[in-house]
Amino acid sequence: MEGIRRIGWTVSQHKVLSICMVLISIIVLSGLLAPLIAPNDPNFVDLMHKLEGPSKQFPLGTDQLGRCLLSRLLYGTRVSLSLALLIVTSCLVIGTIIGCFAGYIGGKVDGLVMRICDAILAIPSLILAISLIAIWGAGWKQMAVALIIVQSVYYARFIRGLVKNIKQQTYITAAKIAGTSTLRLMTRHIIPNLLPPLFIVVTLEIGWVIMDISALSFIGLGVQSPTPEWGAMINEGKSFLRSHPRLMIVPGVMIFCMVAILNLLGEALSERKGLSRLLPKWAKEAKGS
Amino acid sequence: MRWLAYVLNRLAMMVPVIVGASFVCFLLLRASPVDPAKAYLSVSNIVPTEQAIAAVRAELGLDRSFWSQYGHWLWQLIHFDFGISFFSKLPVAKELAARLPITATLAVSSLFIAFVISIPLGIASALRKNRIIDHISRILAFLGASIPQFWLAYLLLYFLSVKLDWFPLQGADTWIHYVLPSFTLAFALIATYSRLLRAGLLESMEEPFVLYARARGLSTYKIIIHHVLRHAIKPVITAAGMNLGKLFAGAVIVEQIFSMPGMGGFFLESVYHRDYPVIQSYVLIMAIAFVVGNLAADVIQAYLDPRLTQKTNKGE
Amino acid sequence: MLRTGTPKYSFIFIVLIFTIILAGCNSKTNESSPSASVSASSSASESANAVADKTLTLSWPKDIGPLNPHQYTPNEFFAQGMYYEPLIDYGEGGKLIPKLAESWDISEDGKEYTFHLRQNVKFSDGSDFDSAVVQKNFDTILANRDMHSWLGVIAQIEKTEAIDAHTFKITLKNRYYPALQEFAVVRPLRFLGAAGFPDDGNTANEIKSPITTGPWVLTEYTKDQQAVFTRNDNYWGTKPKINKLVVKVIPDAEARVLALEKGDIDLIWGEGVISLDSFVSLKDSGKFETAISDPVASRALIVNSSKGPFADLNVRLALQHAVNKQALVEGVTNNVEKMADTIISSNFPYANIGLKPYDYNLETAKSLLDQAGWTLPEGKSVREKDGKPLEIELVYMGPDQIEKPMAAAIQSDLKQIGVSLKTTGVERELRNKRMETADFDLLFWGTYGAPYDPHNFVSTNYEPGYGIYESQQGLAMKDELHQQMKDVLLTVDEQERQKLYTSIFTILHEQAVYLPISYLTNIAVYPNYVKEFKFPAHRDETPFDTIDIQK
Repeated sequence: MEGIRRIGWTVSQHKVLSICMVLISIIVLSGLLAPLIAPNDPNFVDLMHKLEGPSKQFPLGTDQLGRCLLSRLLYGTRVSLSLALLIVTSCLVIGTIIGCFAGYIGGKVDGLVMRICDAILAIPSLILAISLIAIWGAGWKQMAVALIIVQSVYYARFIRGLVKNIKQQTYITAAKIAGTSTLRLMTRHIIPNLLPPLFIVVTLEIGWVIMDISALSFIGLGVQSPTPEWGAMINEGKSFLRSHPRLMIVPGVMIFCMVAILNLLGEALSERKGLSRLLPKWAKEAKGS
Repeated sequence: MRWLAYVLNRLAMMVPVIVGASFVCFLLLRASPVDPAKAYLSVSNIVPTEQAIAAVRAELGLDRSFWSQYGHWLWQLIHFDFGISFFSKLPVAKELAARLPITATLAVSSLFIAFVISIPLGIASALRKNRIIDHISRILAFLGASIPQFWLAYLLLYFLSVKLDWFPLQGADTWIHYVLPSFTLAFALIATYSRLLRAGLLESMEEPFVLYARARGLSTYKIIIHHVLRHAIKPVITAAGMNLGKLFAGAVIVEQIFSMPGMGGFFLESVYHRDYPVIQSYVLIMAIAFVVGNLAADVIQAYLDPRLTQKTNKGE
Repeated sequence: MLRTGTPKYSFIFIVLIFTIILAGCNSKTNESSPSASVSASSSASESANAVADKTLTLSWPKDIGPLNPHQYTPNEFFAQGMYYEPLIDYGEGGKLIPKLAESWDISEDGKEYTFHLRQNVKFSDGSDFDSAVVQKNFDTILANRDMHSWLGVIAQIEKTEAIDAHTFKITLKNRYYPALQEFAVVRPLRFLGAAGFPDDGNTANEIKSPITTGPWVLTEYTKDQQAVFTRNDNYWGTKPKINKLVVKVIPDAEARVLALEKGDIDLIWGEGVISLDSFVSLKDSGKFETAISDPVASRALIVNSSKGPFADLNVRLALQHAVNKQALVEGVTNNVEKMADTIISSNFPYANIGLKPYDYNLETAKSLLDQAGWTLPEGKSVREKDGKPLEIELVYMGPDQIEKPMAAAIQSDLKQIGVSLKTTGVERELRNKRMETADFDLLFWGTYGAPYDPHNFVSTNYEPGYGIYESQQGLAMKDELHQQMKDVLLTVDEQERQKLYTSIFTILHEQAVYLPISYLTNIAVYPNYVKEFKFPAHRDETPFDTIDIQK
């Protein structure tokens, strides 16, 4: 422990950022380059080779349908990351629009928007997402829309808080007195000031969204087979828990690593920007279990 | 009187939120492309003839207008009637009540485990800041935030039940069945609470009254138990209040993995069956749990720090 | 929420990741001996049951329900089936066996059915089984006739009358040959004792108590946990050899396996009640007897001839040759299901007509596609016709543990002949919607099985609205085919009926509008002290009447 601690001390904040960035890049690259580096077709079923252990041809072995586990993991990275990005970006856009609108105008509009948010927030986000997917039927599109709806509310609230905060700054008042138009005020002053905290939030949020995606796919409501997705893979592997725990363990390690690195990165960034005090509270609310 | 006013004020604020949540849910369900009547027939393995669909629709009250259905539901709610399940044909209240004890036990025992582990851990890591115990709690917090709950459940199931055979695989018959599921749910909470408590303790330790107590020669242990903990635990209580709803939600997945016949699994099944009365009632109960959890947390806080009630009564 | 904050711990974190990955690898080495965990937990399954007390404990995934003989969900088929008795029973090969009716007459015109009820049959409360109580049951069934309209005979009943205490007559609107088979179905045509009816006589919502003529009586019941049935010692027929039956509700398949290994239950039985991999591992363990029933129903793909590439017969035929059913049945079901060559298995009535199976032959499949004009362009992997790639969609039920892997395997099969198959997993209700609107190229489907088939099969083919009729619109002889299907149900003459069925099955086979994959079977796993286990011919009936326990 002493040794680890000493090394720990010597790792500077800067290095943590770099290490995280490197790890993230490795994951993103492995996802992007999956078609090139994956040893096999992730969806090719070969029932003659089902449930095999690791071998040269299948570095991590095969699943219950004889598909290459490693290839499915690599392709799964693409699926999880791109879905998470899609969801987070959409939330960001919707949340910014609603948040800026409510936060800037204030008054009754603000009150109404926030009451609607309250009503939605009173339902645990996972429950709401499940109910929404129930309406449309399981599938990745439905899941994405459900998560966007559920998560945008958090963004809207968060951004509204930030906007209200920025609005009170003296330079905004000064700009207003100088006759700057509202639109210009928004685009020139408010939104740029939102960006640093949002960047950090997005980093953390991608990790949580990946967890949500995997949880929903795990219960069969999200990404559908045969598309390789980590949560769905755990779901398929769970029947083989007793005989082939590898099918359940390996995809989970991927989710864990991905989320852990993103969390670490978000933390490191927020320490750097001195935003750590602001974030935890929101993070607590937003982490839709 | 002030207490009563405070609680009543908060309760009054709850009502629109709950009604709003119920309406959101009701509205969304009616937008479903799937007809619950057909769902009932297909689950019963009946070829859906037109007559059968019409008969079931009439029976389930689906042939009425949206507003009539919503009005009817609200009317029932006022009379503490959650309606009749489309599938079991039994009162939803009865169905949920039969499963509530399991889910409630799970939620309460998770909170219990979380407190029992996180309070000593939080205190220890505050007292031994940057020592081994602090690192351990830090790593735990990190794991708690990064491990998917359903995966943790399977890891525990695999290593502790299948490999070591210490715990039963499934069911909810005795207390021992609750150990793994409760721990799964508690894990993320332990992480949050111990770090929150640590931060709160470190902050409070700087307060003048602590310095004074120290000067009087009280031991650190006594100071913490008698003076500091009371303040430092407040953020933990707020968090616990907010987590109550989430615990119920997490139970949806955990109950499924451990085959516990609780509310969560019932909800999931009802979702597949499009059993509207059950889905609506469940979501409503979740919303109430969330709001009540927050209220309870606030009341406990107010009890710990009476200044808060006055502030709220003046309208935030 | 997490204040791990201090970045110095990244190192520890990285160490941690590796530890976990290592743990994962560790488990990999463990799995080389999959039987280890199985044998460890199933040491000497001693049962506490005394020899004299023959109690059979079995597991079921769901609660048995309120045992209402005239209603559907949440009543479990198997419980209704074992508990209540029909007028006529369905035996091996569709043979009709007298049950509560000792015999029956059918009028010349095939419209009047006169049942001579068995005498000296008593309900479990001591009351007599006579035509009055039969009438009472029919009254409530017909009062809810819309709900039961899926069953042909119910829609056809014009009137029912009690001729005397033990003679009951049913008059149909039209001739309908499967009427007798349909009197064997589990619900709703079974009989509840008079005292079990609610005061208004309508059982649509609830019954007072489950009073039956059957061999078992419910004596203990805890919802969602267990139900105990005791042998009815006043039973009119052959009494079961065991005297008590305990049904434990165990929702999870893995838990059922474990319960059997631990000796908590004596029988796992049913369709898809445990994963087929577990079935094989239990079988290989040598500690249990296993059994697989004759085909009870069919699993097939409906091929939509009304649109897209499958409008062309050659493409449909190519599909028949391209799918490696043997591999599907072996790889996905571990041979628990049986490979299917025809849509209705030949052990069903009228279905043994010697159709020639399509063989698995990729070359034949490829040349058929070439003939159809779908050719493989240079350097491409998907066939094209007029610049359009050969893409088809297979719709399956998302959470289904068999359909899902089968869909993936078929996708790989078709890839080899240059067909791009998109597999779409949707949950039950959405799949039903896609089916009804014929919005698919291929769709997983199952027949209703015994005792409903083949007559129920043909009616789902000619009735519009379920999607099958719609999917057959691309056939040149569709009108003729559907007319034959309607006609066969009205036949009185046995030979003519066989002739029509032969023609129907031949057209369906030659036109390749179904891709039969496998026949579903019931499975059973039990320790060797359970004797004389025998599968009933009827898909939803139970084996408890013959079973014995000898320790």
